[in-house]
Amino acid sequence: MTSGFAEFLLRRIVGFAGVLLVLALMIFILARVVPGDPARIALGPTASAEQLAELREEMGLDDPLPLQFVNFLGGAIRGDFGNSLISGRPVAEEIAGLLPATLELVLATLIIMLALGLPLGILAARYRNSWFDAVLRIVSLAGVTMPSFLFAILLQLGAAYYLTDWPILGRMSREFSDFSGATGLLIIDGLLAGRLDITLDALRHLAFPALALSMSGIGQIMRITRSAMIEHQRRDHVQTLRSFGVPGRIVTFRYLLKLSAIAPLTIMGLEFASLIGNAFVVEMVFSWGGFASAGLEAVMQKDLNAVMAVVLVSGCFFVVANLLIDILIGLIDPRLRMKEAR
Amino acid sequence: MSASSEEIKVLSARRMAWMRFSANPVAIMGALMVASVILAAIFAPVIAPFPDHAGAVIDFRNKHAAPDATYLLGADKVGRDILSRVIFGFRVSLLLVAGVLIVAVPIGGGLGLLAGYFSGKIEAVITGFTNVMLAIPPLVMALAVGNVLTPSLTNAMIAIALLWWTWHARLVYRVSKSVAAEDFVEAARLAGASHWHILTREILPNCIAVISVKTTLDAAFIILFGATLSFLGLGVQPPTPDLGTMVADGRQFLPERWWGVLAPGLAIFYATLGFNLLGDGLRDMFDVEV
Repeated sequence: MTSGFAEFLLRRIVGFAGVLLVLALMIFILARVVPGDPARIALGPTASAEQLAELREEMGLDDPLPLQFVNFLGGAIRGDFGNSLISGRPVAEEIAGLLPATLELVLATLIIMLALGLPLGILAARYRNSWFDAVLRIVSLAGVTMPSFLFAILLQLGAAYYLTDWPILGRMSREFSDFSGATGLLIIDGLLAGRLDITLDALRHLAFPALALSMSGIGQIMRITRSAMIEHQRRDHVQTLRSFGVPGRIVTFRYLLKLSAIAPLTIMGLEFASLIGNAFVVEMVFSWGGFASAGLEAVMQKDLNAVMAVVLVSGCFFVVANLLIDILIGLIDPRLRMKEAR
Repeated sequence: MSASSEEIKVLSARRMAWMRFSANPVAIMGALMVASVILAAIFAPVIAPFPDHAGAVIDFRNKHAAPDATYLLGADKVGRDILSRVIFGFRVSLLLVAGVLIVAVPIGGGLGLLAGYFSGKIEAVITGFTNVMLAIPPLVMALAVGNVLTPSLTNAMIAIALLWWTWHARLVYRVSKSVAAEDFVEAARLAGASHWHILTREILPNCIAVISVKTTLDAAFIILFGATLSFLGLGVQPPTPDLGTMVADGRQFLPERWWGVLAPGLAIFYATLGFNLLGDGLRDMFDVEV
């Protein structure tokens, strides 16, 4: 990879750091300036004035706001978000325990989105304006317009009536509940431990939540891939290949696909923000017990420290995903590597 | 070229756009669906079979009544007609859409316009800020706002509008920047026109098509987003009938009493699909990229 691309990535990293900084500032202002005393939330309505003062002192709530922000930021960088106002345990510890569940769900979703969205988009472009294209257009529109919680519920409902032994709640069956592995990703842990039954069980549990979560992304990717393929088909270099007698299949898969993958990848980066949001809902419907459902609980109980951590970690998710996508696009598209070198 | 031939040209361009739109059956269907939702929302008290069921009515004899001749879509856990509540639910959804767009479109559009027209510091600050805001997962932000404010329709509006303007800023910025480089803008400047005149009379009219397409598509996503918020318990509070809240309520009685979930769920789908089809149709009609 050229040094120009390295410079481009460096600039993106600095930009993303800026994003996280502003996000931290916003959530801090929201949490501190808006009425509601964190110490009061932690201790409940029966606490005495001395107890409150003591906890406020301990949490640094009486410091000037800029100092509080610096302390909060310093802690966040070290991965220290203070203690949960409800359980009293370190927030970082609680989140770390729940992160693998969400990671597994999100990764599976991304794989499904690409594995279905790209090929269907290619097919739609290839058989453009046929009945097949029309059906796919309706499917993709349904994916984009139907709320993900409705998809999740419909899948559960379908299973309840027609697939009665298919699991619709949780991450694995109760008989395996004492199993735990190094990575926390059950599918991988099952393989590492040589327990194929566990991997299979985890996959069965994962299928519906991941499908429900990926529907809107499948629709988006399908649409974008279709229009990108159609647009690139008209370009001169593709026409040249065709006139040289290169078979259509090779033109499509070796040349067109590479070019047309850039737009959907870019969209995926932006989509990632709503993916995280929808994960909250899908995790709730399927009792997934991940980071997102924990965040929801924190919001309901007004656990400010946990909410701040959840928002920042979600932001990190988004930033890292977009960075990876930038790298991927750079690998696919040499023009970007060259252009950014300037 | 004389003034009269110019006028004919404008008319025919408009007519051609309308012909493109009306020749598109999908767009017409979208327009009809949107019209039906809006009419249902406006005339809810007249259309709904049981208008009083939009409130805190309790009728335990008809608790969870299955769909029949009286309750076309069944009844909910306290015996209220689901159809009536769905019709009133459209009202709440559209109120939310209106509230968010009234705030988000002018702010986003205005900032985008400024950033595209004035290059340099103003552009850098606005686009930088917009990009940062775009990177915040909206639902996560709404959760944070929901955490510090009590859940209600107004606060849901605030939470959504807080991030929604960014999309309009980005879009209008793109159009405004390319229009600002056109000759007629330079001509206006040379003729001594003020910034205000150039922004509102020369550049803004060129952004209207993009803004209206985006706003139509937005309506769909705001309905979806609002439903998701209230499904999570962070939006509209009972007894106000809200589609997302109704789905959440009905979910407790699955799988036997499926109508409690399907009716409001499909109502959300119907409204969002309508706005999406209409938005796609408008996009083809104006021939713009959104």
